[in-house]
Formats: sequence, C-alpha cells, structure tokens
Amino acid sequence: MSALNRGLLGSITSLGRSSIEVIAAVGRAGILLVQAGIGIPSREGIGLWVRQMHFVGVLSLAIVLVSGLFIGMVLALQGYTILVGFGAEEALGQMVSLSLLRELAPVVAALLFAGRAGSALTAEIGLMKATEQLTSMEMIGVDPLKRIVAPRLWAGFVSLPLLTIGFSVVGIWGGKLVGVDWLGIYEGAYWSSMQSNVDFIGDVMNGVVKSLVFGLVVSWIAVFQGYDLIPTSEGISRATTRTVVYSSLAVLGLDFVLTAVMFGDIG
Amino acid sequence: MTELPGQTATPTDANGQDAGDQDASSSSLGTESGIDLDDALIRVEGLRFTRGEREIFSGIELKVPRGKITAIMGPSGTGKTTLLKLIGGQLTPSAGRVEIAGQHVHGLSRRELFRMRRRMGMLFQSGALFSDLSVFENVAFPLRVHTDLPDAMIRDIVLIKLESVGLRGARELMPAELSGGMTRRVALARAIALDPDLIMYDEPFAGQDPISMGVLVNLIRRLNDALDMTALVVSHDIKETLTIADYVYVIADGKVMAQGTPAELNADADPRVAQFIHGKPDGPVPFHYPAPDFEGDILDGRESSAESSGRRQSS
Repeated sequence: MSALNRGLLGSITSLGRSSIEVIAAVGRAGILLVQAGIGIPSREGIGLWVRQMHFVGVLSLAIVLVSGLFIGMVLALQGYTILVGFGAEEALGQMVSLSLLRELAPVVAALLFAGRAGSALTAEIGLMKATEQLTSMEMIGVDPLKRIVAPRLWAGFVSLPLLTIGFSVVGIWGGKLVGVDWLGIYEGAYWSSMQSNVDFIGDVMNGVVKSLVFGLVVSWIAVFQGYDLIPTSEGISRATTRTVVYSSLAVLGLDFVLTAVMFGDIG
Repeated sequence: MTELPGQTATPTDANGQDAGDQDASSSSLGTESGIDLDDALIRVEGLRFTRGEREIFSGIELKVPRGKITAIMGPSGTGKTTLLKLIGGQLTPSAGRVEIAGQHVHGLSRRELFRMRRRMGMLFQSGALFSDLSVFENVAFPLRVHTDLPDAMIRDIVLIKLESVGLRGARELMPAELSGGMTRRVALARAIALDPDLIMYDEPFAGQDPISMGVLVNLIRRLNDALDMTALVVSHDIKETLTIADYVYVIADGKVMAQGTPAELNADADPRVAQFIHGKPDGPVPFHYPAPDFEGDILDGRESSAESSGRRQSS
C-alpha cells in the first residue's frame, strides 16, 4: 500500500473514531440529563438546590450586574450618537431596552455565566471525581447524579433567567444614567418610548425563554464535562476549558436559531 | 480475640521467621481447612474484563466466605482494585457473573444496585472523604441519607464509630486537616456507620507509616470480629494482609493463581506463588514490562537519530 493510501486510510480511520467518540459523548450526556434531571425532588434535594442557587446564582450576581450596567451605558452612548443625527434621540429608551431584552442580556449573561459558574461547576465535580468522592458516594448507596449533579443542573437552569432579568434591569438603568442624566434626553421620552414599544410577551418573555434555554444548555455542558472527565489534573483543566468553549459556541449558535424562530418574521 | 482458622500459623513469628516453614505440613492449596467456601457471601464465576485491547481478567473464579476476612493479593497492575469495582457494580464485566448474597450484581437496575450498596461499605485507598464536610458529618452522611434517625441518635452512633477508630476527639476537624492514617480511619468509621454485611478494603495499608499500619491492621481484625462482617481486603502488603486474612486469593495474569489459608500459601511450592508471598525480586514473575530486546532497542535508536541528523545536515 502506498504512503498516500496509508495516509488517506489513517485520516478516514481518525475521522471515524472521532465521530464515534462525539456520538458516544452526546449519548452519555443525554443519559446524564435524563437520570439527573428527571425525578421528584426530596426535601433534602430542595435544600441542596437552594445551596447551589447561592453558589451558582448569588455569587454570579456581581459580575452579571456590573457587566449589565456598563453594557447599558455603552448602548446609550452609541445609540445617542446615531439617533441624534436623525433627530430621533427620544427613541433611545426603546433602542436600549429592545437590544437588552431581546439579545444582549440573555446572550452576555449566559456567556458570563459559562465563564464564572460553568467552569466552577466542571472543576468542582471533576475534582470530586478525581478524589474518588463520587465513587465513594456511589458505594455508600447514594446516586451522585441525584445528589451532586441534579441540584447544580437545576440551580443553573433557574438562576440564569433571574440573572438575565437583573442584567436587563441594571442595563436599562445604565442607559438612563447616560442618556437622561448625562446627555440630557427628556426622561419622560426615555421611559415612554420604552413603554409604548416593548411588548411583554414578544420581547420580555422571549428573552426569558432564551435565557431558560441557555441556562439549561450551559449547566448541562458544565456538569457533563465535570462528570465525564478523565480524573487527572490535566483532565480537569481540559474539561474546564471545554465547558467555556462549548457553552459559548452553543449559546451563540442557539441564539441565532431562537432569534430566527422568535423574530424571524419581523422584517 | 477469637482465634480463627488460618491464623494459627501467622506468616511471621516473633523472630520474624517465615511461619510457612514451620507449617509445611499444612494441607494443599484450595482446600477448605476451616473455611466453608459453600457459605459464600460473594461468588464470582467466569469473570472476564477487558480495558481497551488489554484483557485484565480472563475467567476469574472466587468465593468470599461469609463472616471471614478474605484477601485478594497480587502484584501491582494485576487489576485488584478493578476486581473490587466489578464486585461493587461500578464496572461491568465483558462476561461472567458476580453474585452478592444471591443477587446478580450486574443484572440489577440502577436503583436496586444503590439499594444493595447500602449493605456494603468500602474503604478507598485515598479515604475519599467528602472535602466539604467535617469528620463528624462524613461519618454521619450514610446515616442521614439512609435512615430517619433523630439527630441525637445519629450523634451517638457517630461518636461510637469514631471512638472505635480512636478519632472521637477529631470530630470537628475537616478532611484537609487529617493525616493519611487518620483519613483512612475516618473513612473506615464512615464505611461501618450502617453496620454493613460486607466491607471492602482497597489497599488499606498502602503508604502508611508503621504505627498507622499497625493500628489499621488491628482495627480491621477487631471490627470484623466485633461486627461479624464479611471483609474483602485487596492489598499487596503481604505481611500485614496475611496476619489478618482467613482466606487468600492470589491473582496474576488475569486469573486466580493460588488460593488458600495464609498457612497454606506460605507452604506453597509453586515458584510464582513463592516469589510473591516471600517477596523475592527474581523469579517467574518478570521485573520488566514487555519490551523489545534492550541492545537492539539502544542500537536502533542510535541509527535512527544518526539518520535524522544526517538528513538535517544534508538539507
């Protein structure tokens, strides 16, 4: 067999092996989601979930709110410079709020969440696996999918929409700081343009739906990467990186799909 | 302490001499001198397990007698810990059957498997304590999740268990504040918290200083006698393991190489068993991992590096 044929065969083999590994990983992730995510929570399970809401949600609050404030301020500043050219600066409130509610708040909060909470979840579960804590839990007769993975998965799913709402609120307030208090737009116009043009179902709820989807996907990727990693220091490092990369790509890709479904018929 | 079969001739006497030499008249391997293998809590039949392309086990057969300490020994890398994981249902064999108290471990649903494990305890090599819980809470963990006992009773049980391993005074410490020996003793207290029928020890003596090792050896023996548990010890610490074991399996090359009471194994004439039991560096078990001829390997390496440096110079 010639070297060219051997190389070609090697590439095909490698491609096939990688494809099988990806399909197997998706299968394992699906099984994890079903086994961890489905079930009636016990009273103790609710306590564990509340504890994780603190670690995953409350401790992410600072980075999300500060980011929301600055993004709202930047939006107002950029929007004002464009709108003032058309004499439409009174539509600034509408522009800032729609940008935040529909796109920026769900997407940026999810990206920040993946970096802050997702990576921490992967590293925590991974370290528990590397130190045999998950195995010892199994041998005690406690399912780590129910006790460790499920509370973290549900905490991520619930806390990201709440963080997204916080992001939007602070961002809109940041836009008002710049637009009204600094650049001198009439405050009534800022709020009324928002009131008359923002639809609760079409804009606010669609943003919340997006953040629910992102919350599930980011948390799922984070807990799966932690649970499925190779239990070495290098394995933990790689899995943590994968969590951030895969989550970010998934959020951006899904955002396009969801936007097309939710707002695709506007234009 | 009750004198158990197989302990009448301990592996070393007070002078450190091989007890096997004194007990050369003991019965042949695999006999059941005082050990009733028919009354087995664990039965492993035709167990095969493959990792990648490497066959770890190629038909393991063993029985773990009820109420006794059974040791599984063998050189490093023979899959002793893997065997424990197969018995505990954490790994699935490619063929064969593992039965614990008549239940086919790998035929159970996930829920049934977890229910069965409540009657088992396992001591991990690393201790595997939950790092976010104190010593007290680590020992209380199985009681809190599997029983509805009031807090006062849980406290009493935890203190009894910690007292039995000598660490009642360390109950407020966190796992990071414990030495290796203390970690294993806490893990042992946690493993016996629910008074299991079966306890599995994974290399309990590895990396321990002589004092901790002595403490652990005594603890394992005493706990087994006091609680009437069945114990399965996986270890390659021959001296300590033979001191406490009632029955021993030696595994190598994916199969049971020998079995019997410590006295029987000490007297075994099989050169592979003798090499392992007496810790001889030279014998039928090779020191080297399989590799091509050493001289050829060195010379081939020189030739190939000379070729590559020649190519670099010509380019």
